[in-house]
Amino acid sequence: MYSRRMNALLAATALFLFGATNARAQVGLTSNVATVALTATKAATLSVTAATSVATLANITDGSNANVFTPVSLTTAWNLTAGSSVRLVGWFGTPAQALANGTDFIPSSKVEGRVNAIAYAPFTGAPVGAVGVAGGSLQLFSESVAGSFLGSRTDQLDLRLDLTGTTTMAGDYTGTLNLQAIVQ
Amino acid sequence: MSIRSCGPKLLALSALLALGATELQAQAQIISLAAVALGNLGVTIQSGGIQAIPGIADNAVNNFPSPVVIQTAWNLNPGQTNTVNLVAYFSLPAQAMVGGSTQIPSSRVLGRMTTGLPTTFTAITQNGIGGVGTAGGSLNLFSVNIGGANKNASRTDNLDLQLNLVGFPPLPAGAYAGVLNIRAVTQ
Repeated sequence: MYSRRMNALLAATALFLFGATNARAQVGLTSNVATVALTATKAATLSVTAATSVATLANITDGSNANVFTPVSLTTAWNLTAGSSVRLVGWFGTPAQALANGTDFIPSSKVEGRVNAIAYAPFTGAPVGAVGVAGGSLQLFSESVAGSFLGSRTDQLDLRLDLTGTTTMAGDYTGTLNLQAIVQ
Repeated sequence: MSIRSCGPKLLALSALLALGATELQAQAQIISLAAVALGNLGVTIQSGGIQAIPGIADNAVNNFPSPVVIQTAWNLNPGQTNTVNLVAYFSLPAQAMVGGSTQIPSSRVLGRMTTGLPTTFTAITQNGIGGVGTAGGSLNLFSVNIGGANKNASRTDNLDLQLNLVGFPPLPAGAYAGVLNIRAVTQ
């Protein structure tokens, strides 16, 4: 009789302990770890923004280089993944006809530009990379981006007509100067 | 008394002894039987396990393109489990997504589960639950009570994700990658 009671007690104890262990096992039970792969891409960008799209010269003075247009503020911004420099180029689509008044033309060699008060230079250079027109281009700046691929700068673009030795027909002369940046 | 006269009596005694030998019993042994079906809990990404934003916009909210469809299945003893919680978390909250030396923290990654707890987009900045998740880099997606009716059940939920860059410094161009962990835990 004693032995039977002992066995029953042992069995009950075992069941209790087994159940208690099992109860603990189901609190804090964790699943597998599922994963979601996230990727997001920031595209490289390069932009030029002009504060105004119009530069004017109210009165042309023949035989002089004192024909300065109203200045234009330019902001060049870049966010790159590669490259060594950002260059800003100004160019005329048809260098021989940078400004036109009917059939009277002022070539790009008579139009000069500069940024940040450095020396004026005519728009007679070659393209930079694929940007520009042969004989009608001017590199306005070249900035190294070796230290940082993310940056911007704002420059004042001054433009003038150098009509030294030149007489123009009276009238309104208009033209379009293109501005574009390139990474090299 | 001659043997002949005692013969029938001896025969009867022998039969009784033989019967007694047949009824001899050993001590009963008790074998207690116990079997347990262990609880199980699983999480499966049914779709949307790879999320890509092709063009991040700075200072804007960028939506990941499709929901992450998550199935959570369990088979539990309701007497031993109160709830099942689903948790999303980043292992390193400060570096939820990384591109080069630029890190996007988990505070910029938002999750929403309209069938769960964060019914509006919520930053993944909560603490872990029941040992699952990371401090400041977790989001409790749902908590369901376990009872007899749902002790062996599953549910499927959509997790929507956003990258909120409003007010965040412009990101350098490049690719940013991270891993969001999804795990369930009972409590």
